[in-house]
Order: sequence, then C-alpha cells, then structure tokens
Amino acid sequence: MTTSTSGSPVMQERSKPGYSLGRRLGSATARIGRNAGLPVAIALVVGALVLLATGNDPLSVYGRLISEAFGTPSRVNATLAASTPILFTALAAAFAYRAGVFTVGVEGSFILGGLTAAVIGSQMSGFPPFIAVLLPMLAGTVSGGLAAAVPAILRAIWAVDEVVTTLMFNFIAVGLAGWSVQTFFLAPGQANSSTEYVAESAELATLAPPGQASWGLFIGLALLAFYAIWIRCSTLGFEFRAVGSAPRFSKAQGLRVRTVLITALLGAGVIGGIGGSVHALGLVHRYSEGFSAGFGFTGIAIALLARFNPWGILVGAVLFGALNSAGATVQLFINMPVQIIDVLEGTVMIFAVAAFTLPRLVKRRSKRMEGTFS
Amino acid sequence: MIDLLIASALTLSVPLVLAALGGAIYRRAGVVNIGLEGHMIVGALFGVIVSGATANWALGALAGMLAGAVSGGLMSLVITRLKGNQIIVGLGFNILIFGVIGYVLRSVMGVSGTLQVDGLQRLPKIVIPGIADIPVLGALISGKDPLFWLCILLVPALAWLLRNSTWGIRLRATGASESASASLGLRSLWIRDGGGAIAGALAALGGVALSLGTVGLFSENMTAGRGYVALAAFYFGRSRPLPTALACVLFGFFDALQIRLQTVGGFSGDIISTLPYAAVVVVLALTGIREHQRGARTVS
Repeated sequence: MTTSTSGSPVMQERSKPGYSLGRRLGSATARIGRNAGLPVAIALVVGALVLLATGNDPLSVYGRLISEAFGTPSRVNATLAASTPILFTALAAAFAYRAGVFTVGVEGSFILGGLTAAVIGSQMSGFPPFIAVLLPMLAGTVSGGLAAAVPAILRAIWAVDEVVTTLMFNFIAVGLAGWSVQTFFLAPGQANSSTEYVAESAELATLAPPGQASWGLFIGLALLAFYAIWIRCSTLGFEFRAVGSAPRFSKAQGLRVRTVLITALLGAGVIGGIGGSVHALGLVHRYSEGFSAGFGFTGIAIALLARFNPWGILVGAVLFGALNSAGATVQLFINMPVQIIDVLEGTVMIFAVAAFTLPRLVKRRSKRMEGTFS
Repeated sequence: MIDLLIASALTLSVPLVLAALGGAIYRRAGVVNIGLEGHMIVGALFGVIVSGATANWALGALAGMLAGAVSGGLMSLVITRLKGNQIIVGLGFNILIFGVIGYVLRSVMGVSGTLQVDGLQRLPKIVIPGIADIPVLGALISGKDPLFWLCILLVPALAWLLRNSTWGIRLRATGASESASASLGLRSLWIRDGGGAIAGALAALGGVALSLGTVGLFSENMTAGRGYVALAAFYFGRSRPLPTALACVLFGFFDALQIRLQTVGGFSGDIISTLPYAAVVVVLALTGIREHQRGARTVS
C-alpha cells in the first residue's frame, strides 16, 4: 500500500558540458537514436505483424505512409498541421518530467484551454486582429494552468502523488467541458454538441492558405526554443534538472524543491493550455466533442522517446504528426483502418519506458532507484 | 421508480466491482493498474466471440477471463521485468489494445466498431420466485446474472484470502516492500505477475458482464472509461475488498442516476459522471494531508 507511483519515469541522461555545439548535437543525436530507436523498431515490428496477419504487405503500407506524409508540399503542410498540437503537449510533458514530476494531466489542460479560447474567440468579431487573437490565447493559457492548479498545490504542499490526481483531473476536465458546452455555449443547429465558430479576426493565420498549418506551429517552435535555452541557462532550469535527477540531494542542498514542483506542474498545464488555444484558433476554429484526439497522451510518448531533449521533441512531434496525417488519408486508398496508428503509438509508449539492459545492470539500477525515491 | 433505480444501479456496478477488485489485488501487490480499461474490452470481445461460437455463456465468460489473464500477465511482465513505469505502460497498453481491436474489427470482420454475433447466449437472469415481487428486496437480489452473485461471493472471499492465506500475506508483503520480500526468498516478481494476471482476468470478467450481460453485443467503446472509474474505486476503498466494492456500488448508483435524469431531462449527466474522479482527488488529498501531518514523508 505504501509504494508510490511517482519518481522519474525514465532514467535521466547526464549531459557532458564543455563540448562544442557540433559535438554536443552529435552526441545528442546518438543518444536519441539509442533511446528511441529500439521502441520505434519494436513498434514497427508489432505494426508489421498486425498488418501481415490481416493480409497487408507491411513494407508497401509503410512506404505509402511515408509518401502520404512527406510526398508533396501539400502533404507536408498537412503533416505540420497535425504536428502542431502534439508539439505543445510533448513540450508540456517534457517540461514537467524534467523536474521528476510525472503529470498525465496535459490532456485536461489542452481541453479546457481549447474550450476557453474557442468561447472567447467567438466573441471577438469587433476587435482588431491582434487583440482578437491575444485575448483568447491568454484566457486559454490561464485556464490550462488552472486545470493543473489543484494537483500542483496538493503535490507541492502535502506531497500528494500527482500521477493519479492529474489523471483524474483529465476526466473532470472532460466532464466540465461537456457540461458547460451543453449548458452555456451550445451553437444552435449543430448535430453534435459544439460551440460557435470563432470570429474570423480571432483565427490564427494559415501559412500556405489551402493547407491547414498555421502560425501556431511557430508559437510552438518559439516555446520549444525558449525551453531549450531556459532549462540550460537559468537558475530555475538548473534546479529543475537537479530535482529531477536527485530529489533528496537537492533538498539537502537547499534547492527550492517546492517551487520547482509547483512550477513544473503549473507550467505543464500552461503549455497544454496554449496548445489547446492554438488548436482551437488555428485549426478547428471551435470546441466540439472529441476536441483532443488523445494529444496529451501522444505528447507523453514523444516526451519519453525524446528523453526531454528539445531536438528529440521536435523530431518526435513531426513523426507522430506524420503518422496521424498519413494514417487518415491512407485508409482512403487501401484497406487499412486508421487504428494501426494507435497500435504503433501504444507500442512506442510501452517500450519507451522499458529498460533494455543486461539483468545485472537492471538490478543495480533498480537498487539505485529505490535508494533515491523510497 | 426506486426499484428500477436500485436494479439498474446494481447491474451497472457489477463490471465496476469485478474490475476494481482485480485492480485492488494488483495494487496490494504494489502496482497501480491503469490497464483495467484495456483488460475489460478484451474480456468483452472474447466473451462475445466465444459465446457466439459455442452458444454457451459460461464458455464465453471463461474465454473472456482467460484472455484477460493473458493480457494482464503480459502487461505485468513489461512492468516487472523491463522495469517499465507502470502508469505509462498502462496508458500505452490501453492505446495498443484499443488500436488492435479497432483495427481487427474493421479489417478482418468488416464491421465499424460494433460486432453482433448471431446465436450468442447472454448471461441468464436468475429470478427468485416469491422474492421477485417483494418491492425493494426483489430489486436487490432477484433477476441478477451469475456474475452479480460471483461479486457477492468474491468480496468476503478476497478479504479473507488477503488477510489469512499464504498467498495473501506474500502478496501484501511484496506490495509493502519488494526488496524486503525478495530478500526473504519470495519470488516477488512472479507474485506481482500473478496479481497482474488475476487483475486482468477479473477486469475481463467485468467486460464480459458488459457485453454478455447488459446488451448482448460488442462495441469498441462499450467500456466508456469504466476501467478508470474502477481505478478510482480501489483508490477510494484503499484497496480493501469491501470498501472498494461499496465505492463501486456508489459509482454505479451515480451512473444509474445520470441515465435516469437524462431521460427526465434538464440535468447534465456530464457533471455526475465526474463525481467518481472528484471523489478520488478528495480522498487522496485528505490522506496526503493526514500523512503529512504525521510527518511520514520526508521528501517533499
């Protein structure tokens, strides 16, 4: 009964300082390849087995997926559009995990942020474009943070395990969103329950008009770059990494453990809220049931695969975005239900956290884990 | 009205109780089972297929249970042997299971999400003559399926087994400290895997109760988050069988009330459906605050 579910989900990698940028980039790439290569390979094998068992040729399906994701400029555009929401959720998850805080509540923040932005955005018809975008974005950001506030306070002050509380808040967020849409914001004359479309001035502009990728992608990239610099160069960023890899030691050293915990959880909620706002203003232009297709969970998979590395997050978001956009169109041509994407994603998630090491090493590692976190 | 409400609350509780008891056992062994939702849908699917093929509900339930045990055991192996984080493995496992089932339904069986099998036998309803007509008592115990009675037996049996049997004591020891019980010579990882297989089997029976009990067909979103409500229930009941089962009945009552109020109209079921989750946050918060005041935790 006393075992805790908390603790860092994966081993933290130590970065070696003092190398030139080029060598650091090289070693980071090698590290990502080592950490992410095996789970991705296993996922491809599992996917191939499922495809084979149902009479599809895995190689031709995978080839088709690649050409559908990157084959023409318009397909690349669709891939980037699909990458945008999961870029935010992956960044949110990585931000918290870096501090050893294990939130699964990004999904809830994404939903509430999206709902708030959509509702405020629909009232923005008379405003100048800049304010019409900024206000809903801010409101969505705040409500994303609010969705994470209760678990954050519980974790920081009373050490209540954040994993289960954030998981529960996802369901609470879904229920609250459904209820408030039904009761207050229902758009008349729609088949499924959804809010009004946002005003035209509140829409985030698209990059290449027929395509759906919007400026939201650059908001995400800017946040990612900020995270990369901040975690490396700021005091709080250092404390994040320290608390993430050795909480007891950090506490003994007088680092601001409580501040780190609360910032990590609230920050993940805020980033999730921005992601939801961008998704609402940039892509779907309203909130409807099924607003988030599990983006919060895809983000977790990416963050774990990337081991919180910014480049890894970017690559992972584009890869999963490619899977989502290609999977949706490939099923139009061949008998391959889009659920194969879930098979790949689930397998990646499972094996991203598995430790493939020699038994002796496993034992030593787990001993270290218990020493650190019990 | 009250009879109908009681009857539907109990019917809705059965899948929850089975899944939550499984989750509670695994929790006692030291692992939080996020994969209950996936085990439930596996059980629901295999129950429908085998019951349809054999026209025998008992074989269907057995097949569902076995499939659940396999899926629970496999998930446990990843957690115990590959040291995968239990939460992530559970979440990924659910995505994988729903992906595989959704894929196979569409590409092999050619149906989109709902599988109707001809000649399937549903769970029988055991009507107790004489009692069936008594107002409240009739709704309480008459017209129930065998899995309901299994729940009634399972709660005291599990409570006793966990408290007194060798298996129960070893299981709880493993949960209290994996390294200490391993140092005493227990095969702690195998004990955990066993707990995982039992959890999967019971959750799958819960799925069977959904597919063969209430509707008699399979639909890929028929669990509708019940695995997570079961998770909430064993947190609420602190993984003890009776409180866990009572929490399930409470949540089942919420569910019945919500369906009832929907037909009456003017009230949102969305809010009621969040009550189990809110209850868990409250319980966790209260427990955490109490433990904190005792100074039990040193790392913040």
